[in-house]
Amino acid sequence: MSDQIQGEAVEKLKNGENGVQPAAGHLSSIEQKDLTPIQMVLRSTAFWILVILVVLVAIFGYLTPNNVFLKPGTLFTVGLNASQMLILAVGATIQLASKNMDLSVGTNLILTSTLAAKILKMVAGTPEQIMAGSYPNLGMAIVAAVAASIVFGGLFGMINGLIVTKLKMEAFIATLATMMVYWGISLVITQGASEVGIPRALQLGFGHKKLLDLIPLPLVVALIISGIMWLMMRYTKFGLYTCAIGSSKESSERSGINTDLYVVSIFVLVGVLAGIAGFFDLARFATTNPQGHQTDGLLAITAAVMGGTSLKGGRASIPGAMLGALIPTIIQTGLVIMSVGAFYQMIATGVFLVIAVYLDQKRYASLLD
Amino acid sequence: MDTGGTNEQVAIEVKGIKKNYGHLQALRGVDLKVYKGEILALIGDNGAGKSTLAKIICGAIQKTEGDLFFWGQKTEVQSINHAHKIGVFTVYQDLSLAPDLPVSDNLFLGREIMRTGILGRMGVLDRKAMRAESKKALASLGIGLKSISVDTRALSGGERQALAVAKAVTWANTALIMDEPTAALGARQSSIVYDTIRAASARGLAVLVISHDIPKMVSFADRIVVLRHGQIVASLEAKKTTLQEVLNYMLGGKGESKNE
Repeated sequence: MSDQIQGEAVEKLKNGENGVQPAAGHLSSIEQKDLTPIQMVLRSTAFWILVILVVLVAIFGYLTPNNVFLKPGTLFTVGLNASQMLILAVGATIQLASKNMDLSVGTNLILTSTLAAKILKMVAGTPEQIMAGSYPNLGMAIVAAVAASIVFGGLFGMINGLIVTKLKMEAFIATLATMMVYWGISLVITQGASEVGIPRALQLGFGHKKLLDLIPLPLVVALIISGIMWLMMRYTKFGLYTCAIGSSKESSERSGINTDLYVVSIFVLVGVLAGIAGFFDLARFATTNPQGHQTDGLLAITAAVMGGTSLKGGRASIPGAMLGALIPTIIQTGLVIMSVGAFYQMIATGVFLVIAVYLDQKRYASLLD
Repeated sequence: MDTGGTNEQVAIEVKGIKKNYGHLQALRGVDLKVYKGEILALIGDNGAGKSTLAKIICGAIQKTEGDLFFWGQKTEVQSINHAHKIGVFTVYQDLSLAPDLPVSDNLFLGREIMRTGILGRMGVLDRKAMRAESKKALASLGIGLKSISVDTRALSGGERQALAVAKAVTWANTALIMDEPTAALGARQSSIVYDTIRAASARGLAVLVISHDIPKMVSFADRIVVLRHGQIVASLEAKKTTLQEVLNYMLGGKGESKNE
């Protein structure tokens, strides 16, 4: 019925049947010149993050012995190291666009990869076979592990979304709580130990696999996923509603959008992305890491914000977040190659975050002038 | 929407509507008809129940008792979305636009034009068509914006309100409900909003306006309905009434006998 009415209304518009005489006075038209493509590029935060990235790479390339940082192998290693954060940062961007956040993605990742590892081993063979390093049902087991990562990741995301919408809690508090819960459950299940007995085939076939002996497969998959998310945010109704809800939840409701449904869907999507990142973890290291990743949720938000997505909601820059996700890894890798302590990376990332947000606010203010 | 039947001129009929908030009776049995093409001004003091009545009709809240009819058909309006399907749209006191979205996205929010074929099924929007239709819709309402792609945030207050009205007018085919549509606007910007409301009624929409600007309503509306303590105390033809009469009803000088 709504389609029919919409159709009618569109038809009326097309035929100019509004029966409305243009009002005599025009409104004071806004002074918004159409920007040239170059101006648009210069105004985008993603562009400036890219500049920073290039500068960083150039500096490290100059400083590292034999300019080893500039070698494709090194750069792809950076990409591989950043591939999980890439996925999480894209998720954080979507979440921020809807004016929510998910701090729990890091521990969602831990719990999901733990459960996926358990299921993988369960399907692959008997405990004795696995101890002996033979996996009779390997193919089936990997399929089950991938499915488990996606399903559990989405499920934990859904729990977040339901707490936010049904219990009407701030996402910050809700996901702070589930961050602890998910981590606690993983520690209970694993007693804090990493999972052993994951088949090496997972590393050979995916985690360490390189296309053309050069491009890490996980990076390629991460880029494809990010690309799909970018297209989704830019061109689909889902992307429009995500930004609309973040821009004004009340207006979205008044426009007839079921905001709770969309908010839960966004949490599920971001949970699925965390689950996929969890599978990446499993495939790269052939183990789980219950002691790491707790702060991944915050780092993902950091990357998204550095990339030009604001906490105010209503806007998303997926390319910016992808570039933002690379910065910490580039700094870290560069420092490691230069034999400078990797811990400086955190200081540098924090400083970059402040600078990026400051510049973004200035840009935002100039847009409103 | 098909009309037909004996009630084809009655867009909205409200019968015995009551609304309680706990012990508080916001509406105590309201009967009202709003006709096709009619501009009906709902007048009353704060707390008289104007906004409550409007919200029940537009699906934002549920009535406690009573019946609602649209084009003579009894309907339980379950949600704002449901009201939209009936063709009832509301322009709110505080704006109903998302400031970060471009004008055309806002105009179509909730009723997007999708691409045809598989892309449409994947949820891909036809932004080109949305922009083109937005231009036409705004031009036909006399709303001149230089760019349809600009963020709504960048518009002036009057432009935003005009856009909000345009959004409702564009999609409504039964009724337009407005709660203080010009409260935040200057005289010049208000007059554009009033022109747009006129245009909506000329299109055959029933228009229900809530306003504190009573002198304006007496000259602008077709009919004035006065609410007091959750009841209708007067229904006056605007041409035959005076500001004084309306104020008397509103403040209880004349309507007293009708109250319990």
